[in-house]
Amino acid sequence: MLTSHPTLLIGPSDWDVDVMPREEFARRIDALWRAFPEAPCAIVYGNPAHHAELAYLTNLVPKLEAAVAILSRSGAHEVHLGGGPNMLGSAKPLTFITDIKPLRGGPAIGRRALEMKEGMPGTPLIIGDGYMPTAFHQGMDEAMGEEALNATAQVWTLMHRSSSHELNAMRESAFALNGAMTAITDAKKAGAGVTEAILAGEREANSRGAQDIRTLFSLDGGRTLQPFTTTLTTRVDPLQVYVAARRFNYWTEGFVALSDNRRPVIARARELLRQALAAIKPNVKTADVMALIYAGSRPYQMHPVTERAIISRLGLALEEPPHTNPGMSFEVGDIYSVRAGLTNGADEHAIVSAMARVREGGTDMLWTA
Amino acid sequence: MNFQERLADIRARMRDEKVALLVGMHDGAHFIEKPNPVMVLSSFKSLGPAAALLAPDGAMTLVVTPHWDAERAAQCCPDARVVGVDDVAEGVLGEVEGRAAAGTAIATAGLRFLPYDIASHLTFALPGVRSADKLVFDAARAKTADEIASAREATRIAERGYEHLIAIARPGMSEDELAVELKWFMKTLGAEDNFLLLCAGPHNRAVQPSTGRKLETGDIILAEITPSYRGQLAQICRTVVLGKPSQQLSDKYELVVRAMDAGIKAAVPGVAMATVCRAINTVLEAEGYGEYCYPPHIRRRGHGLGFGSIRPGDVALDNITMLERDMVFMIHPNQYLPETGYLLCGEPVLLTEHGAEPLTQQKAALAAVAG
Repeated sequence: MLTSHPTLLIGPSDWDVDVMPREEFARRIDALWRAFPEAPCAIVYGNPAHHAELAYLTNLVPKLEAAVAILSRSGAHEVHLGGGPNMLGSAKPLTFITDIKPLRGGPAIGRRALEMKEGMPGTPLIIGDGYMPTAFHQGMDEAMGEEALNATAQVWTLMHRSSSHELNAMRESAFALNGAMTAITDAKKAGAGVTEAILAGEREANSRGAQDIRTLFSLDGGRTLQPFTTTLTTRVDPLQVYVAARRFNYWTEGFVALSDNRRPVIARARELLRQALAAIKPNVKTADVMALIYAGSRPYQMHPVTERAIISRLGLALEEPPHTNPGMSFEVGDIYSVRAGLTNGADEHAIVSAMARVREGGTDMLWTA
Repeated sequence: MNFQERLADIRARMRDEKVALLVGMHDGAHFIEKPNPVMVLSSFKSLGPAAALLAPDGAMTLVVTPHWDAERAAQCCPDARVVGVDDVAEGVLGEVEGRAAAGTAIATAGLRFLPYDIASHLTFALPGVRSADKLVFDAARAKTADEIASAREATRIAERGYEHLIAIARPGMSEDELAVELKWFMKTLGAEDNFLLLCAGPHNRAVQPSTGRKLETGDIILAEITPSYRGQLAQICRTVVLGKPSQQLSDKYELVVRAMDAGIKAAVPGVAMATVCRAINTVLEAEGYGEYCYPPHIRRRGHGLGFGSIRPGDVALDNITMLERDMVFMIHPNQYLPETGYLLCGEPVLLTEHGAEPLTQQKAALAAVAG
């Protein structure tokens, strides 16, 4: 889900070799070279808002300004970091790449890629360029004198296959998510106002090591969602909440609808979610499970927040397509966020969700509402 | 000045420059150094990429992503027509393509800050549109009364955050832990966002984003505490020692405070921003630190405060912007000195007819906590 993007990423993001070993990144980069056998190098762009590809290949999540990794087929990888030479030290703990230099603009990146290409026949790859500032992109293109081969979509494909290390990171992320949801539920039960409850959840996720925690909530019984804009003492029931938690660069997310009373719309949404999760098996079409939720929504309608995003893949990117596209069918090892959102268009609304990993014969729950 | 008066000024500028439709765009990745024309034109802080389309008669259309955030936008901007979409470029083109084809004079603001995917889509579909960055951001060079009130509240929150830092910082805590706790604490006070740079070491080269490094006795903690309140940032720059500070460190910190005071005194309406920078440099140069007054040691002595407009820009020798009443900006010497390393010292100021009024209650002073 799209949430309010913070101006600076604040939270523990250091590379943990025990969680994501060097061999994991070597495997990913090797897969890239196998997909592009003639490519001499790859330019990978990321900024604090959009960096899934960069994090996948280098573990680096830029906290302050953009970064470019130039991956070399020889293995002599480099990171070029924005923010000036004085920022380099802060990036060293974030990645296994030790050669970190200041980012000097698009032309310098283009020239460096040409140097790496020297004597090799193929074309440099470009990954994540859609998020580059235009002037940066143009400067890089001009310096290279040729258009780099766009490998972004190929990397997205590689990213879909979760390894055991990634699954462990997702479980840690789900642990933080679960802590947040439990704390919010407890705070609401104790009579907390809406932002007090949300902040209790954020604090608990922080205490469980979350590197980022983002929330949305509703003041109108779940009809609309909003980000935190300031503290609100209002106590609302039902309280519709969305929480996304990040740990070791991996995101998990969840929707809960909390109420002191039994509400048919919440019960219906939960039942739909249960049915959807039961239907998910390897090779089942994602469209079929979406159709199941659509068909079961009556007498309610689909909630506008989730009607176009019932099933999403989740991992290094939280926000919207293409990273979160569910694909044609469920695949073993993939992790999905499944959402059931209902509304009567007036005064009854609820969204609930689950994080599920597909395995042979069914799913394992990482988290469920 | 209030928001409506600013908007009227922008519309007058549009008429003067024969702009029939102004399209301000932002990608939703809110960053302290990236101005946001959508916020300037509408006060709306979007979740995703968004655009504000303004006609000279005042008619406003907001194009927002994701589509489901349209209602929040409509509540924020009750006079605007709001369109919720999932692709801002398609949404904008849906609004303007017909008018562009009919020869309407369209200008854009914020295009150069957009990511390539969005910007290239728009420039291809709307060839020849001109930039209105100057038009929009010049009009927002001074803050509105609401923005000034928010800057005061953000400053209050920053000072409370700093008190909390002093209360909880201790050896063994990681930079990340301290930064996360401070961010959370300031959120409980109403800060919806925070540009909180925090790092520590015995001899810092600069202030940087926090890492997992554990604090140690003798560390100098640098904190640029920058909460946002209702979309308006304010910042305080502070330095804290874990343990007893040396006499040399105390003396050098007094020097940077003196340099800051000189900058604050020099900031009066009618002078160029460069004058403020020069006043700070003069104090440091007189003590033999001339070579440290330039890159790579220092790039600027302060800056504007967004998220809307970041005018009047950097406190730098090449900034010839003339200072005016109601401008809000940072004055921070933030100096690297070879004996002590980098020291943070800075206040947010509001320019009044009498000069620069620090928004803080307590001026920067070297602090020490038990090591």
